[in-house]
Amino acid sequence: MSGQRIDRQTTRIAGLILLAVLLGGCVNATVDEMTYNEPVAGIGESSVVILGRRHKPDYDTEFDFIECIGDHIHSGDPSIEVINEIAFINQFYPWFEPRTAPLQPQTIDRLLQLPPVAARFDEMKLEYMIWIDGNTENTESTGSMSCGIGPGVAGCFGFGTWGTESEYEATIWDFTDKVEVGRVSAQTSGQNYMPAVVVPIPIIAPVQGTACDSLGDQLLEYLSAFH
Amino acid sequence: MLCFTLLAAGCSTKQVVVEGNFPKPLLDPLPITLGVIYPSAFAEHEFFDEAKGRAESDWLVKTGEAQVEFWDILFDGMFDEVVHIRDWETVQRRAAEIDGVLIPAIGDLQYTIPTHTNVKIYEIWMRYEFRLVDIAAIHQQEDGALSFNPDERLAAWPITAYGKTPTAFLQTDEEAVNLAAVVALRDAGAHFVTSFGGTPDVAIWLDGIARREQDAARSSNDQVGDPQPVVDSAETSTAEGEPDSGEAL
Repeated sequence: MSGQRIDRQTTRIAGLILLAVLLGGCVNATVDEMTYNEPVAGIGESSVVILGRRHKPDYDTEFDFIECIGDHIHSGDPSIEVINEIAFINQFYPWFEPRTAPLQPQTIDRLLQLPPVAARFDEMKLEYMIWIDGNTENTESTGSMSCGIGPGVAGCFGFGTWGTESEYEATIWDFTDKVEVGRVSAQTSGQNYMPAVVVPIPIIAPVQGTACDSLGDQLLEYLSAFH
Repeated sequence: MLCFTLLAAGCSTKQVVVEGNFPKPLLDPLPITLGVIYPSAFAEHEFFDEAKGRAESDWLVKTGEAQVEFWDILFDGMFDEVVHIRDWETVQRRAAEIDGVLIPAIGDLQYTIPTHTNVKIYEIWMRYEFRLVDIAAIHQQEDGALSFNPDERLAAWPITAYGKTPTAFLQTDEEAVNLAAVVALRDAGAHFVTSFGGTPDVAIWLDGIARREQDAARSSNDQVGDPQPVVDSAETSTAEGEPDSGEAL
């Protein structure tokens, strides 16, 4: 009798796993773009820096997300030199800290009045500064899972699910003219599942990765002469 | 055994010795020789917070070493010369060249972790008290320790700093608090650099130094203008390696 119940439960969990596998990995993405003054011939030997906004009280734009976008752009067009964010912030310390980072392109002029800052920018041949603002968050979660441990036995049983949402906006500043030349935004969301029959198997929706690819594609299209 | 481990984990002290790589500031150094005294309460600063309940841990955050390392790098980049004043002998030997002595202190340090706030952010907030005194205000106590008369200070001003870091996968509480402390230190430096010249008493002190230098330059120019004995070429060539008084100023 109890064997039949376990069989039924196992079948139900297996069904849920199958459903989760089918649904897992499904991510909804919405991309918005508004750009102008595109560099038709590409950016030549100039460089680009991508920086995250971290002055808001409740979130920081993740360093690894910025790195992901930089890698995406560089792998799409190796001729585009993307300066590493942390190296850039350290080289310009203390002018790109959350407290001091310019919020408007016009305020860069004030930074350029400092001779060592102006000299370093010259060395870098910086053409575009791209600011990314946003983050990825887990949203509501449901389900239950219980885990147990005994002499020589351990395992979990149950099912859990939770959502993940990403919202990022990239603002492109033309560093030569000190003007904003575009905004690209990406909103993605997805559902994650964690069925557990002895061993929990997380099925994670690549929400942040999709946001990185979407934003990276748009930025690559803007910066590269070959896309 | 597992229960014992869990109970012990609940009661243990989480200790963080703040460590980080601090960059040199990108500045034109001010033409100032600054004396710096790090009081022992600053150089060995640590913060202890006792657990409020059985589920929480005690926290010990040691920031002293990182404070000294960070401010040394910042002051070295911000001022022409920095003299560390550790004893009376240094005061006597370097008094003539030191324009002012800076004495930092940590007035307050507060922290929050997600278990306190239910917000997925680790935060550190610090308030510094900076005091700037003339070298003449530094005295030696009977036991040999240095002290200064607070009434003789040139300026005193607070600097607040804030650092936060979000929770991250596979990141321990200690790592996150360390990261938040490093961000707070960097923020303190940014705040110090951007507000230093704008602090009213510091601005008066800087004006005084600039005026003294102008006067000195003027008087040395006057001396240069006086009739000088004619020197032969051999004498000129031997003096080439040394800056003359006009250039040096």
